[in-house]
Amino acid sequence: MYEWIIQNKDLIKLFYASLIAIICIVITVRADKLFRLSLHQGIRYFRNAFIFYALAFIVRYLVEAIAGHGRITLYYPYINFCFEFLLIMAGFFLLYSLLWKKAEHSSEGYVSSLFNSRIFIFYSMSVIFAIVDVLWQTHLFLFLSQILIFMFAAFISYENYKKNDAKHKFPKFYFFAMLLSLFVWILNTTAELWFNWSQAILIGVYILNIIIFLLFLWGVIKVTKR
Amino acid sequence: MAKKRERLGVIKDILRAIMKNRQIKPTRLLYASNLSPQMFKEYINELISKQFIKLDIDKKEKKTFSLTPKGQEFLQEYKMIEDFIENFGL
Repeated sequence: MYEWIIQNKDLIKLFYASLIAIICIVITVRADKLFRLSLHQGIRYFRNAFIFYALAFIVRYLVEAIAGHGRITLYYPYINFCFEFLLIMAGFFLLYSLLWKKAEHSSEGYVSSLFNSRIFIFYSMSVIFAIVDVLWQTHLFLFLSQILIFMFAAFISYENYKKNDAKHKFPKFYFFAMLLSLFVWILNTTAELWFNWSQAILIGVYILNIIIFLLFLWGVIKVTKR
Repeated sequence: MAKKRERLGVIKDILRAIMKNRQIKPTRLLYASNLSPQMFKEYINELISKQFIKLDIDKKEKKTFSLTPKGQEFLQEYKMIEDFIENFGL
């Protein structure tokens, strides 16, 4: 089984990226419908997070799989920069969807969710992290940013789960998805720092990522299927 | 002490009051919404700008509010929106 996976690595990567990109697009479309109806800022930032996740996976894996690994070697730093930038932004949007109530006031009115002063801070940080990672040929700033983001997100979603008083079942699973995401980023860091990108660890990361995105999708479909 | 109503809850209450009456005078809607005149004005302006409600003025200059199709759709989907916000802690 393990041998088969290693031999068909590129095909599996293509399947993995396509699956996650499709999940993210479904979540985006469903969240966008609810946002257009309610103009709720939290739903808007949540939707944005999944737009960025979808773009990140399309840029990183699908472009590589479609163009062929050899042909894009020259462009790899640019692709990697885009991938890291989009992934970090997605993490920021997901965290901000949990925090926006504390940072924004209803009197501010509706401004663009992609171009405003607060989001500009996220853009700046994402660009800096992605550039440093590309220059140093590492992924450590991406990993570190995501570990911090998901530590905060796990803490906030735990508070939400406690506040929920068993009214809904999903906040427990959302907290679990955040914890699992945190674990995946720690696993990624471990793979780079101490295990020389062990294939076995990476397969584990892929499987866990699919579980995490399926959990998000399940939560969205559960509410919006009516 | 009663919990302060969430913004979305206030919107739902205003829209339901309009739907119940089909057409409602501003003063009656103000009482039904249980808001201060200042807050009421802010919410009404927001709902008109979102095209959830419209202000009708007849020949005698009598003003009434009525629900638009978008407002009706919002009320139907309100539970779904509320569940989504609560489930994801948004």
